[in-house]
Amino acid sequence: MIVAGRVMVGVAAVVLWQVAHWALGAEWISGPADIVRRTAEIAANGELARHAAATLTEAAFGFLLGGGAGILLPFALRLSPRLTAALDPFFAAALGVPKLALAPLLILWFGIGIFSKVVFVAAVVFFFLFFNTLAGVRAIEPRLAAAVRVFGAREWTVTREIAWHTALPYVFAGLKVALPRAISAAVVGEFIAADRGLGYYINNARAMADTVGLFTGVTVVTLLVLAVDAGLERLQARSLAWRPLSRDIGV
Amino acid sequence: MSEPLLGVRGLGKRFDARAGRAEAFWAIRDLSFAVGERELLTIVGPSGSGKSTLLNLIAQIDRPTEGEVRFRGQLIASPTAGTLRPGWDRQFGYVTQDDTLLPWRTLLENVLFPLRVQNRLSAEMRERAAGLMHAVGLEGFERHYPHELSGGMRKRAALIRTLVYDPPVILMDEPFGALDAQTRTQLQEDLLRLWNLGRKTIVFVTHDIAEAIALGDRTLVFTRAPARVHSEHAIPLARPRDVASIYTVDGFADLHAAIRKELA
Repeated sequence: MIVAGRVMVGVAAVVLWQVAHWALGAEWISGPADIVRRTAEIAANGELARHAAATLTEAAFGFLLGGGAGILLPFALRLSPRLTAALDPFFAAALGVPKLALAPLLILWFGIGIFSKVVFVAAVVFFFLFFNTLAGVRAIEPRLAAAVRVFGAREWTVTREIAWHTALPYVFAGLKVALPRAISAAVVGEFIAADRGLGYYINNARAMADTVGLFTGVTVVTLLVLAVDAGLERLQARSLAWRPLSRDIGV
Repeated sequence: MSEPLLGVRGLGKRFDARAGRAEAFWAIRDLSFAVGERELLTIVGPSGSGKSTLLNLIAQIDRPTEGEVRFRGQLIASPTAGTLRPGWDRQFGYVTQDDTLLPWRTLLENVLFPLRVQNRLSAEMRERAAGLMHAVGLEGFERHYPHELSGGMRKRAALIRTLVYDPPVILMDEPFGALDAQTRTQLQEDLLRLWNLGRKTIVFVTHDIAEAIALGDRTLVFTRAPARVHSEHAIPLARPRDVASIYTVDGFADLHAAIRKELA
């Protein structure tokens, strides 16, 4: 049922796209067939792999850096509620800084190579995971923590057993948003200054008024995001297998 | 007279005023009693009479405002004692009113969890856990998560999770409170049978007079908050007891009536 519905929506979207292509013309909207042809072309000459690898590398390193810090920091802050409270407005202020506006600055500081993009991705990803994980760590049930302390558990066990498992669903909620954003951030970073990457490819196509190239780049990025998201869904289903499924309780 | 196993003297706990509760209030005050080695002491009192607060103080989850608790003569809780040490180094087990099984662990992992925390997970201990699970009818459910089990099964699991690591004193806070009558009787019988095998010291809190009589060697009747000991009754009913028909045993009815009058 669900699969059939998905196929129908997918087919409808492609049909709509094709109609728009006919109605508005190729210079405004490229047709699906052109994009399939172009994708096959750049896949064959190695361009696709080179650009996708660059973008994914930036996204992955940036994600590890920003995501790792965003997940671990709330667990460290748990040990000192007063420090957390003191830092609260600063986290909010840091969140408020428009990261996009920082991108040119980062390029100035870290050059047009991979490093500036990694830092940019990390800055974007950090906040999604930090605030989600912080909420998760704060959702600990005191009675569970008290129970394991009575067994003789130390703070480390409380953190690893109670805080971690309580926060995990929140971490996944953060990842759900953060992973696609990591890829978008890498692409945006490449718009600004780069010599490779899907963002570079798209920007280059724009400069040369190559509508097909532009659409192809955007389509490839979208497909990458979908693939990463599917992987995440699988990991989440496995990690949170203990949770009662909503279909069991009829919600 | 020799030193009791557990001595509570002049104990008091005040909860400070905070938003939503205008006045500071004493949950317990001037509370004194003693518990002997291998005794099953029941405490019965009206709802909200500070019974859970008392167990939290003994278990070192919370700190008293005044008074002291001694264990084998050693001072373990007082307003000025150092850092709280929940469970006092595994000397106190605590079976609480609500469910504190870890929802992300299977039944077996939950039962073995205290042993794992204490680094005592041996083949022998696994066998002991399996024996306890068998004794309360939980075998075959080892790989279920808590939410997949009935309320009664979760209570049984919580009970043997504490029994398996064998703390000398077990505190029980209305552990069978939210169960239907039949499951409740079954669990009371399980508890008495397990207690008979090991004869631990148990402090069992309840608001059910019949339960207090059916289980205890002795029962304390608490006043309304701030809780103090109103009176004390030895329970001379012979053991082993049959919980299901305890109502018909000689002496039960009189004791029940006397305690009910005191609680009124």
